[in-house]
Amino acid sequence: MLVNPISKNNPVIVLVLGICSALAVTAQLKPALVMGLSVTVVVAFANVIISLLRNTIPARIRIIVQLVVVAALVIIVEQFLKAYAYEVWGQLSVYIGLIITNCILMGRLEAFALGNRPFDSFLDGIGNGLGYTLILVIIAFFRELLGSGKLFGFQVIPDCLYEAGYVNNGLMIMPPMALIVVGCIIWVHRSINKDLQEK
Amino acid sequence: MEALNLFIKSIFIDNMVFAYFLGMCSYLAVSKTVKTSVGLGIAVTFVLLITVPVNYLLDTYVLKEGALVWLLGEDAASIDLSFLSFILFIALIASMTQIVEMVVERFTPALYAQLGIFLPLIAVNCAILGASLFMQQRAFPNVGHATVYGLGSGLGWMVAIVTLAAVREHLKYNKIPAPLKGLGITFILVGLMSMAFMGFMGIKL
Amino acid sequence: MNKNSNTYTFIYASVMVILVAAALALVSDSLKAKQQRNVDIDKMTQILTSVKVASDMSTAEAKYAEVITAAYAVNAKGEKTITDAKQTFAIDMAKEMAKPVEERNLPVYEATVEGSKKYIIPLYGAGLWGPIWGYVSLEGDANTIFAASFSHKGETPGLGAEITTSNFQTPFTGKQIFRDGQFRSIAVMKAGVKSETQDQVDAISGGTITSKGVEAMLYDCLSVYEAFLKTIKED
Repeated sequence: MLVNPISKNNPVIVLVLGICSALAVTAQLKPALVMGLSVTVVVAFANVIISLLRNTIPARIRIIVQLVVVAALVIIVEQFLKAYAYEVWGQLSVYIGLIITNCILMGRLEAFALGNRPFDSFLDGIGNGLGYTLILVIIAFFRELLGSGKLFGFQVIPDCLYEAGYVNNGLMIMPPMALIVVGCIIWVHRSINKDLQEK
Repeated sequence: MEALNLFIKSIFIDNMVFAYFLGMCSYLAVSKTVKTSVGLGIAVTFVLLITVPVNYLLDTYVLKEGALVWLLGEDAASIDLSFLSFILFIALIASMTQIVEMVVERFTPALYAQLGIFLPLIAVNCAILGASLFMQQRAFPNVGHATVYGLGSGLGWMVAIVTLAAVREHLKYNKIPAPLKGLGITFILVGLMSMAFMGFMGIKL
Repeated sequence: MNKNSNTYTFIYASVMVILVAAALALVSDSLKAKQQRNVDIDKMTQILTSVKVASDMSTAEAKYAEVITAAYAVNAKGEKTITDAKQTFAIDMAKEMAKPVEERNLPVYEATVEGSKKYIIPLYGAGLWGPIWGYVSLEGDANTIFAASFSHKGETPGLGAEITTSNFQTPFTGKQIFRDGQFRSIAVMKAGVKSETQDQVDAISGGTITSKGVEAMLYDCLSVYEAFLKTIKED
């Protein structure tokens, strides 16, 4: 339950959920990691809350209840980031708010939390959150390394390479390359897991 | 003039999909044929055109610091409810889509038959919430600008999804390495389209 | 109780809304002080950047206390209106710019850097997508720019957002805002175009509207200080 969403049922590259933020915040590793962890926290706790309430929620306002729970959790996460990680809060800007519409959340709430016990739902949330974080970190790793020659803001490509004529690929930090990097990750992932290939 | 400028910019330069990756989930899922993507594009534009200005009014007259002065008098100048904006925006978007769905169903059944299945999807489309959050961040001077921005963003999204669908329809006839088929090639394709749209960046208005 | 009845749904929704609102208000209230402190520190970092003092979230407060020697506000006639440093720091430029010129409180920060006194003036204006702001520091002659720093909220990355980079900011150093005793401000012009009457820096290619916004912001914000700057010159 915890491991499955990390590769085989990865929410981003297999189920195609939560793509928006995966692409937008991955120009650098640090915001990508914070974003991933924020989503993990929100999805885990939203799963637990909905699972606890699952027998009391009136069917007609199910979606609204889910949205309210998620939105409330996202606001709490945002307030904490603003208080304890101000710089990252500034970099993530509107994308924190967009966690609300991250399809991973609604997807897991509908598909899992509504029908399972709180503890299982918690693990499911953590697993999906980590699967999401993993992809974000992989994308951000390549984009920051090739785009600015840094990792977590520290320069890793030695100066002698720059002197020999190496240049950072500015396009890596721009939007298009994010998409292409994801495309390549899917390519690699599906070459390994042949059963996922589309006909 | 300024509004026209904003309109063009929000369609081409600050395109929802290519510059900010908003509404990606449904963008990838529904772009298999041109016909359905036109339907979803219209629905998104329609909802954006309504929710952005309404959220603008909500932000200006209820949420912002000091926004409640008109209702509660000078004492309210220090009330700042902006921490509630996410939850109210999303609630408003959800109820607006519901209302739009009912109105469309009641008055234009033909349109409903085409858009109906997409409307419930739209409440959780990040392009819709995203546009409202950008509207708040960019602090537009009046509701007119907010409306123009909503319309422009919607049309930009529609342009993006229809063009992608057109390309994907032809993709069927091409030989693509098996692991890349479907999702993989679509991502790369969107990346290339996004690069093309970067060409609009230097545009001077 | 019937879970599908209207009463149940209604009560359920009401209770949920009240609980959520209470929880959020509590969180927001308890974190407010910490957030405000972050906002203040961020402002200090920007002020320090405008006199070429590098700092981050952990060092900004100490450095600010060391470098900034005084803060006060003046009016458009150059007379001091606020002498308290804390009150001056709390002035919201967005609100001041909305007032008529005569009523504005114009903040001035004095800093001692490299052994000489600099005057820091806050800027606030509009870019393409939203507000842009910054700080410009003047040498003791109240004419030559020592350094400038700019920030923005939502300018396009790679274009307008470039105003935050040193490529754009460094050329401001050494430019003069007065020419022949007349206030001229600084022009932000496309590379290659020459201004006859003003000192100038290069605009950002592709970021025309943001560049024009910076130019207008410099003029609007500095021109109201003209009287004050002249009194410094005479001293």
